[in-house]
Amino acid sequence: MLASFDWSYIAEHLPELWQGLLRTLEAAAIGIAGSFVVGSLLGAARAHRIPVVSQLAAVYVEIIRNTPILAQIFLIFYGLPRFGILLSPFEAAWIAVTVWGGAFNTENFRAGFEAVPTRYREAALALGFSRVATFVNVTLPIGGRISIPSTINTYVAVLKNTALMTAIGYQELTNTAYSLASFSFKDVEMYSVLAVTYLALVWLLSAGVRVIEGRLAVPETA
Amino acid sequence: MSAAALHLPAWVGPVADYMFHTGLLLTLKLAGLAVVGSAVVGIVLGTLLTLPSLAVRSAVRLYIEVWRGLPIIVTIFLIYFALPSAQIRLTAFSAAWIGLTLWGSAQVAEATRGAIQSVPREQHEAAAALGFGWVGTMTNVIFPQALRRLLPPLVSLLVNVIQNTTLAALIGVAEVLQTGQRSVERLQLTPPSDSHAFEIYGAVMVVFFVISFPLTRLAALLERRLV
Repeated sequence: MLASFDWSYIAEHLPELWQGLLRTLEAAAIGIAGSFVVGSLLGAARAHRIPVVSQLAAVYVEIIRNTPILAQIFLIFYGLPRFGILLSPFEAAWIAVTVWGGAFNTENFRAGFEAVPTRYREAALALGFSRVATFVNVTLPIGGRISIPSTINTYVAVLKNTALMTAIGYQELTNTAYSLASFSFKDVEMYSVLAVTYLALVWLLSAGVRVIEGRLAVPETA
Repeated sequence: MSAAALHLPAWVGPVADYMFHTGLLLTLKLAGLAVVGSAVVGIVLGTLLTLPSLAVRSAVRLYIEVWRGLPIIVTIFLIYFALPSAQIRLTAFSAAWIGLTLWGSAQVAEATRGAIQSVPREQHEAAAALGFGWVGTMTNVIFPQALRRLLPPLVSLLVNVIQNTTLAALIGVAEVLQTGQRSVERLQLTPPSDSHAFEIYGAVMVVFFVISFPLTRLAALLERRLV
């Protein structure tokens, strides 16, 4: 198996694989940014028990967390056309990972915001900060940092979940390797490249964010 | 109760029948096997992680980082499409089962290590003082206490494994999602050519929600009670 490992096939198809990698990173980047926005907004609504929004967010979180992401992808891509919503594979891909990551991040941020000691918020309010200003200046910076470890897990999972977009024909890395392998029967070569690339991406992302985490961690003085 | 008695459209009966009797059965079988495999392998590996030997710990650590780092679908593709080149041919069901177990056991190993290390040091020392060897200490003193902490993550793992069994659809295992997908394709190809994709994939989500929701509640409850 190793003796016949065809390095030249990999070399020949590096441009396609590189394109696939870029598409993976593109969907992941939008998904990570989107799940940060969705998660911090809905997490704030949950933590501050804003009526209606908080309850709707809770339902959204439970639905997403208790159903398989692959079924969600199929529903978005194949099911939504019923309502005249026709999405390209790329649109369906980033929407799916944003919706998924946003739900997990809502919980992450909710827990972080709720962990901010009440006296900090009271102090801000006593200083005359409005509720919004209190959130932006006190709860978000402190609670956001408390929730960093769990949000990082969600971002890594968002990156890994982009691999599922191969199912709807979005030509990201997994889909590219899969198509090349099915044309050429170079399965060992293609799936080895695929595995090594994902491990490198996931390990790099985890290591990188651990550095950021160390920098941003709330000093244990409270 | 037949579909006609409930005044459901005619297409619903055969689709529901296929999705429940073939699909759900395979989903549950796959999830059950993967959870048992993950728990057994994971608890053994997690225990090895608490050993003093650096070589053993490094080997287990590598196993965890690799199978936890890879997207599960990539692991399943590796097993199903690349292993035949090494003369290892598996059915799609076995490939999915092994892929899920590799990932699940890595999760369980990490949780087990945490659970064992959460048992206070004094417990080890007290057991040693009573003359227990390593095996005796583990089975009589440490595991019974660690198990309480391991239970909530194991229930969460069960939920994750059940949901991730849908990945087997991508290599053609006729679990719930795949039976749904085949039904969509069949309805699309037969007059009146309405795939009912929204209803069918919506139903898939409902099935998983009904199974998963009580389990996530249970995991949260156990977390509060036991830890």
